[in-house]
Amino acid sequence: MKAFGFDYRRGTSIIHILDPRSKFIYTILFTALTVYFVNPLVLLLVFLSSVPMVAVAGVGKSWLRSIRGSLFFIAFIFIFNLIGIFWTTGSVADALIMSISMSLRFMALISIFSVFFLTTSPEDLTQSMVQLKIPYDYALTFNMAMRFVPTLSREAQIIMDAQRSRGLELEKGNIFQRVRNYIPVLIPLIISSFRRAELVADAMESRAFGAAKRRTSLYVLTMGRRDFLFILFSVAAFLAFLSLKVLFGIQ
Amino acid sequence: MISFEDVSYSYSPGRYAIEHINLSIDKGEVVAILGENGAGKTTLIKHINGLLKPQSGSVIVLGMNTKETTVATLARHVGLVFQNPDHQLFAETVEKEIMFALTNFNFPEDEISRRVNWALKEFGLLEYKDRPPFLLSGGERKRLALASVLCYDPQIVILDEPTTGQDYRQKLHLASLIKKLNSESKTVVVVTHDIEFAADFIPRSIIMSKGRIIADGDSEELLTNRELLMSASLIPPQLVELSWDLALNPPTIHFDELVSSVKKLLEGREA
Ligand SMILES: Nc1ncnc2c1ncn2[C@@H]1O[C@H](COP(=O)(O)OP(=O)(O)OP(=O)(O)O)[C@@H](O)[C@H]1O
Ligand SMILES: [Mg+2]
Repeated sequence: MKAFGFDYRRGTSIIHILDPRSKFIYTILFTALTVYFVNPLVLLLVFLSSVPMVAVAGVGKSWLRSIRGSLFFIAFIFIFNLIGIFWTTGSVADALIMSISMSLRFMALISIFSVFFLTTSPEDLTQSMVQLKIPYDYALTFNMAMRFVPTLSREAQIIMDAQRSRGLELEKGNIFQRVRNYIPVLIPLIISSFRRAELVADAMESRAFGAAKRRTSLYVLTMGRRDFLFILFSVAAFLAFLSLKVLFGIQ
Repeated sequence: MISFEDVSYSYSPGRYAIEHINLSIDKGEVVAILGENGAGKTTLIKHINGLLKPQSGSVIVLGMNTKETTVATLARHVGLVFQNPDHQLFAETVEKEIMFALTNFNFPEDEISRRVNWALKEFGLLEYKDRPPFLLSGGERKRLALASVLCYDPQIVILDEPTTGQDYRQKLHLASLIKKLNSESKTVVVVTHDIEFAADFIPRSIIMSKGRIIADGDSEELLTNRELLMSASLIPPQLVELSWDLALNPPTIHFDELVSSVKKLLEGREA
C-alpha cells in the first residue's frame, strides 16, 4: 500500500476519530461530484476542498506521496486524452481543456480516497462494514486484501531479483516482449499468494475461526454529534456544488 | 576475484543494513557467511551480482565494478540461488525451469539439452522432468532452484541458506557438490544458519552482526572462540561444546581430532 500512500498510521485528529461511516458518506458524495462534473475549475475546487482535511488530519506527507505516486498515471491520462480528443475533434483548445479535466478528476479521486484510507484504521473499517450488515466474511476478506498489499509488493521485488539473477532482462525488447518478460515474475507471485492464502486460512481455522455462528463485537462503533455535523457539512458542500449546475448551468 | 571496499547500504534513511564492509575473496575459495537474522547477509550477497549497488564504497567482481555493469552481465558469471525456491520457480515443467537461464544467456541448442540433462541427473530430478515445479516437495523445489542456476556453470556460486529444509542425506550431497565445485576452482559463498554445516565443510567463515563483519578467518579458529560466538548470537557447534566441557586444549571442530583427544584422555586415566 505504501506505493499508493494508503498506509494508515494511528492518529488522534478529529478526522481520525470520525466514524468510518460518516467519512464513507463524504467519500461517496465527493466521488459522485468528481464523476459528474467536467468543468476543470469545479474539479479543481473539489480537489482543493480535500486539502484542509489533509491538513487537519496531519497526514500531509503520506498524502503527498500518494499524489506523487499517481503522477505517472496522471501524465498518462493527460497525454492519451490530449491525443485522442484532438484526433476526433481536431480542436487543440477542446483537447487541452478536456485532458486537464480528466487529470484533475483523477487527482481529486486519489485525494479523496487517500483522506479516507489514511485516517481510517483497517479494524474500524471492517467493524463499520459489519455494522452496515455486510457479512463478516466479506468484510474480513476486504480487510485482509488491503493488509497484504505491502507484503505482495515486497515479494514481487524479491522475485524480480531472483529472476534477474538468472539472466532475465525486464527492459529488453519491444512493448509486447516487455509484457512477456514479466511472466516469470507474475507466476511465482500468484502461486505464492495462493499458498499464503491457504496458510492463512489454515492458521485461522486452527484458531477456531467460524466456530461461533453469531459473532459479537468487543468494540461497537457509535455515531456521535461530530459525525452528524461532519455529514451535514458534507451534504451541504455537495449541494453547493450541485447548485453550480442548477443556477449557472456549469457542469 | 570479489572485493568490497568500505561498502555501506541502507534500505531506509538512518538505518544501515550493511555498514563499512571490507572483504576480499579469492578465486577457488569456499566461504561461509554466518550471523543472526537481519545481520545483513542477504543484503551483502546481493551486491555481488549487482542486484544492489553500493551507496558508498565499491564492489569489484572479476575486475568489473558492479556500479557500471548490468545484472545480466554479472549474473552470467555469478550464480545466486535465493533463500526461498518459490520466489523463482515458474515454468510448466522441471525441465523448462532449468532451461530458463540457459536460454536467457543464449546458449546454443545442443549445449542447452546437454546441460539440462546433466543438471537433472546431478540433482536427482530426472524422474520429475515433466512435472510442474510447484508440485514437488519443499526439498525437491530447493534442489531444482539450485539446478536451475548451477546448470550454466557460473564461476562464482552464491547460495543463500541452501541447507534449510534438507534432510541429512541432501546436506551430505550438497557438501560433496561444494567440494566438487571447489575442485573445479569455482568460488563458493554459502550463507547459512547451519553452523554445523559450516564447521564440517567450509574452511573460511565470515561472521556478521548488525550490518558489520565482526570476524573473518579460519573456520576452526572462529567457531571455537566463545566470546565471538556469543556476541554474534551463534550457538557453537556441538563438537566445540563437547571440547569445552572436556576442557580439551585446543578445542576442535573436527570429529577425528576430538576422538583422538578423548582417547588420549581415557588412556591417561587408565595409566
Ligand atoms: N527490501 C527491504 N526493504 C527494507 N528493509 C529491508 C529489506 N530487505 C532487508 N531489509 C532490512 O535490512 C536488514 C538486513 O536484512 P538481510 O535480509 O540482509 O538480513 P539477513 O542477514 O539475510 O537475515 P536472515 O538471516 O533473516 O535472512 C534487516 O534489518 C532487514 O529488515
Ligand atoms: Mg537472508
